[in-house]
Amino acid sequence: MQMEFAGFPYLSAILLSCLAGLLLILFIPREKQLQIKWVSAIFSGITLLLAIYLFFAYDKSRGGLQFVEKLEWIPYLGIQYFNAADGFNLPNLLLTGIVFFTGVLTMWEMRERVKEFFALYFLLVIGVYGLFMTMDLFFIFVWYDVSLIPMYLLIALWGTTRKEYAAMKLTLYLLAGSALILPAVLYLVVNSGLNTFDIVALMRPGTFTPSQQKFAFILLYLGFGILAGVWPFHTWSPVGHVAAPHAVSMVHAGVLMKIGAFGVLRVAIFLCPQGWQHWAELMALLAAVGIIYGVLAGLRQTDLKYVIGYSSVSHMGIVGLGLSTLTVDGLNGAVLQMFAHGVMTALFFSSVGYIYDRTHTKAIAELGGLSRIMPVASSYFIVAALASMGVPGLANFWAELLVLISAFRVYPVRGLLAIIALVFSALFMLRVVQQTFYGPNNEKYATLQDVTFGLGMPRMILVAILVLFGLYPSLMLDMIETASIPFINGLP
Amino acid sequence: MAVLWSKDVTLLAAVAATLAPFASFVLIMVFTRSHPRLSAGLSLSAAGISLICALALLAGHWDMPEPIQYSGNWLASGDIHIPFGYLLDPVSLLMLAVVAVIGFLILVYSLGYMAGDPGFARYYALMSLFLWAMMCLALSPTMFQLYVFWELVGLSSYFLIGFWYEKFSASQAGKKAFIMTRAGDVAMFVGVILVLLNLGNLNILDMDNPSIAGRIPQNLLTLSALLIFGGIIGKSAQFPLLTWLPDAMQGPTPVSALLHSSTMVAAGVYLFERLFPFFSLSPHAMAAGLAIGTISMLLASTMAMVSRDIKEIWAYSTISQLGFMLMGLDAGSFFSGAFHLTTHAAFKALLFLCAGVFIHKFATNDIFELGEKGSRNLRVPMVCTVIAAGALAGLPPLSGFFSKELILAGLAGLANPLWLAAALLGVFLTAYYAFRPIFIVLFPHHSTSSQKASSASPDSGHEDAHDQAAYRLMAIPLLILAGMTLLLGFFQYPLQDFLKYQYAYLGIPADRHYGWLPYVASFLAFGGVGVAWVEFGRPGAARVGFVERIPILFRLFSERWYLDHLYRYLLERVVDKGLSHIFAQNDNKVIDGSIDGLGHGTVESGRIIAFLHTGMIQYRLLAIFVVMVLLSLYFFF
Repeated sequence: MQMEFAGFPYLSAILLSCLAGLLLILFIPREKQLQIKWVSAIFSGITLLLAIYLFFAYDKSRGGLQFVEKLEWIPYLGIQYFNAADGFNLPNLLLTGIVFFTGVLTMWEMRERVKEFFALYFLLVIGVYGLFMTMDLFFIFVWYDVSLIPMYLLIALWGTTRKEYAAMKLTLYLLAGSALILPAVLYLVVNSGLNTFDIVALMRPGTFTPSQQKFAFILLYLGFGILAGVWPFHTWSPVGHVAAPHAVSMVHAGVLMKIGAFGVLRVAIFLCPQGWQHWAELMALLAAVGIIYGVLAGLRQTDLKYVIGYSSVSHMGIVGLGLSTLTVDGLNGAVLQMFAHGVMTALFFSSVGYIYDRTHTKAIAELGGLSRIMPVASSYFIVAALASMGVPGLANFWAELLVLISAFRVYPVRGLLAIIALVFSALFMLRVVQQTFYGPNNEKYATLQDVTFGLGMPRMILVAILVLFGLYPSLMLDMIETASIPFINGLP
Repeated sequence: MAVLWSKDVTLLAAVAATLAPFASFVLIMVFTRSHPRLSAGLSLSAAGISLICALALLAGHWDMPEPIQYSGNWLASGDIHIPFGYLLDPVSLLMLAVVAVIGFLILVYSLGYMAGDPGFARYYALMSLFLWAMMCLALSPTMFQLYVFWELVGLSSYFLIGFWYEKFSASQAGKKAFIMTRAGDVAMFVGVILVLLNLGNLNILDMDNPSIAGRIPQNLLTLSALLIFGGIIGKSAQFPLLTWLPDAMQGPTPVSALLHSSTMVAAGVYLFERLFPFFSLSPHAMAAGLAIGTISMLLASTMAMVSRDIKEIWAYSTISQLGFMLMGLDAGSFFSGAFHLTTHAAFKALLFLCAGVFIHKFATNDIFELGEKGSRNLRVPMVCTVIAAGALAGLPPLSGFFSKELILAGLAGLANPLWLAAALLGVFLTAYYAFRPIFIVLFPHHSTSSQKASSASPDSGHEDAHDQAAYRLMAIPLLILAGMTLLLGFFQYPLQDFLKYQYAYLGIPADRHYGWLPYVASFLAFGGVGVAWVEFGRPGAARVGFVERIPILFRLFSERWYLDHLYRYLLERVVDKGLSHIFAQNDNKVIDGSIDGLGHGTVESGRIIAFLHTGMIQYRLLAIFVVMVLLSLYFFF
């Protein structure tokens, strides 16, 4: 049995601390809600700290795969437990840690079936973490399904609007995605003749013929693309966002959609680069349409969470557009956008969560004038809206800048379409901000309390991160470049 | 950075000037939001630091043959490099000084104007944010940095216009301002990318280098110049994106004075100055700019002639003066635009601050009401308003006369006399609309009603020491600005000397002097004042303008040439009820409909198949029979 560990297995430690938290939650009696919350906060905090450590400990000058953990599992089938970190997955691991931890804090005031909620929540995040760190195709598939099942339960049990419909729709869509991914994965593994699921081994140039790559790529792209909310397979996501409880919306929009985009990058693009080059034009078209479509369809929404859902469709279009450009800048922008959008959308849902818990409505028409009553809580939402509009000084600006520049260079018309969408995204967000937070004092809500320091914590963290990477984008981009430059240079 | 920043005094001053307001913004937002006085103190001291540094920089580099540039790495991705830095040359130092001086004076003024407002601390935080962004914009060495801060000044403008967000009209105006300028910015963004893709970088000095003509094809150069000009149109509220500026007057008056007249909207003109050599390489872009400037100038003048709202009148006058600046620059006369920007900043800020005193005192914007309530009794602001309006009208020897005369001289040098004629018409209209409100306020019909009005006014009940103190505090900046308006015109030659190195390599011919031009211009200006006097000032005047006697024109002008109607129509019909509606319906009906249909179809087909498996023997037999028949048909035929 082969084993390869480069020092302390930090990546597995992340999974293990999730697992430990999950087990501990299962052993705490259900009446002790506060204990459950504390355990959740502590263990999610540990995973966040580990992710932060990895982010800074990664040797950018060396690049490549680091913190490798390799363990043969089923040698007969070539399946390995193989985790590693590089410039593409570290931002996503950090993002998962941030959203996970702040999601727990957002649910601090929860009262119903707390134990089950947090147990499922931990299970969901294990799948997400696992998927981001694995380098084995088989495990990608396993982790994908690990994260899928808790999602169904979380929405169907704790959700709000049309929750059964949304949960079923989401599950069916995502299973349809995996029904496309599985045959493609098996097709690739069988045709490689290497008898391995190891991505590093499979991605060597010349493993697959161009026609094999073209065939497999489109299946993988559509399969993962469904999860990434690629137009026209996006309608599950706004519905799902709306129905899910706040923390689940945060993970759902913040991280789960990134899994789709990350899968496109890690599996489809890594294994089938020539298929990528072949289908890039189509990817760019779908992405550009999604960007402007999401914004315009969002203009008519009347529910705060629907609004955010449609903005996610548009922003994930930016990721897709970046991935389709076949350039370093495009990849950099796309990965940065995954991170920035994840943080931003977590901030959105976290803020809406606070507002909904107080006012018991998400209908924009019923809100209004909240800025006077809860200025701090409102300003968190407004910061997220600004990030969504691509205002400089927040992380999203740089991601959009890079993607739009490289897209305009490669596909002028589609790039232009995406740039024009900037005007409508401003219109879209400012309208919501105006109708929800501005306007005369709303008598109905006059007695509501503004967010306290403790409850504001998750949003504060998220705002700080957006500003940090907004003012100092190199911190993240230098990391992504260690992966994107060698990858683009290594293309045939 | 090439030099250690602490060793280089110039760099230190630039860093301090730009960083101080940012620090005060962060400190106020994070720590002192609930302490209004402390916040104002922080903001004022930061603005003070900026002022000292800016003036020191200006004085220390009065003679600067070569631009000084500092840059450090901000972001590098693939082949896109975005540095952060400072570009110090005469035009940027002048802009920095203008921003710092006006900004500081207006922050002092705001102590009185905003006193007691529940958002006092927020106000000072946002003003600091604006000052930071505006100064970084002025000193940007690259178009990237300029674009970043260009967006940030727009953002602070959005928040400051909607400062009193309980008012629907205020939040609406903020939104409108942001989105209309965004529309221009998108054009500019595309233009900037075009330059980047062809030139490889966005250094302003590289873009201004005449050798760029050989590196970018002429067509692309023209296209990108026109697109960048789109950003200027948005930011400086030129035709056709001019209607956001009058609405922006919903913000507090000091905000209008700082952002929406003297500095932020002038950023568009400043960008033109910045890229003057770049634009002048493309004659088509220059011609288009000249046309846009002229149209905006005339349109805004006509709108100002019929408005009754004092701030709105001054807002229209801002648009028309910005149009004048662009006309001067597009005519190829660099100094005239820069000079008019400087003088305009002083007198326009003064006009707004005076209007602010009236509004603060009488709680109305209507010029007729202001006159009836006795604004003329407020001596200092009234005198200052007359001085500033004189400068706006271009009456000698006030500052506006000198700078406007230079623009006219530039236009007189053009081959086509049409532009000069339009500008001279503009001079006449400017004088008319500037003095129309003055005469209305100065010579109200019912001057005896001042006592009645004072009791009606809600604020005048507490005419106490506090009000007096606020009034005095607000008067100091007025006097300083009035002094500048009186004297700045005589600094034409020192300023010209200071700016002589700017773009010296272009070899711009010295502005020709036309002996007759000043006389014609002043004659027209006095003529405009005279017409206003006849209609509004003289005893027994009907106080009805000549435009108001022509109903069609009056409606056209007061409806802003129906531009807003057009935009509203487009927004409602094309965007809201058109695209947005179609897309949302597509999601609900087509995509979700087909997916749900697929789901129902599966369930239904399951039901039909389940029907066969109900365990009833007759169905089994029937099925067996049918299958047998089909099989036999298949095998035997």
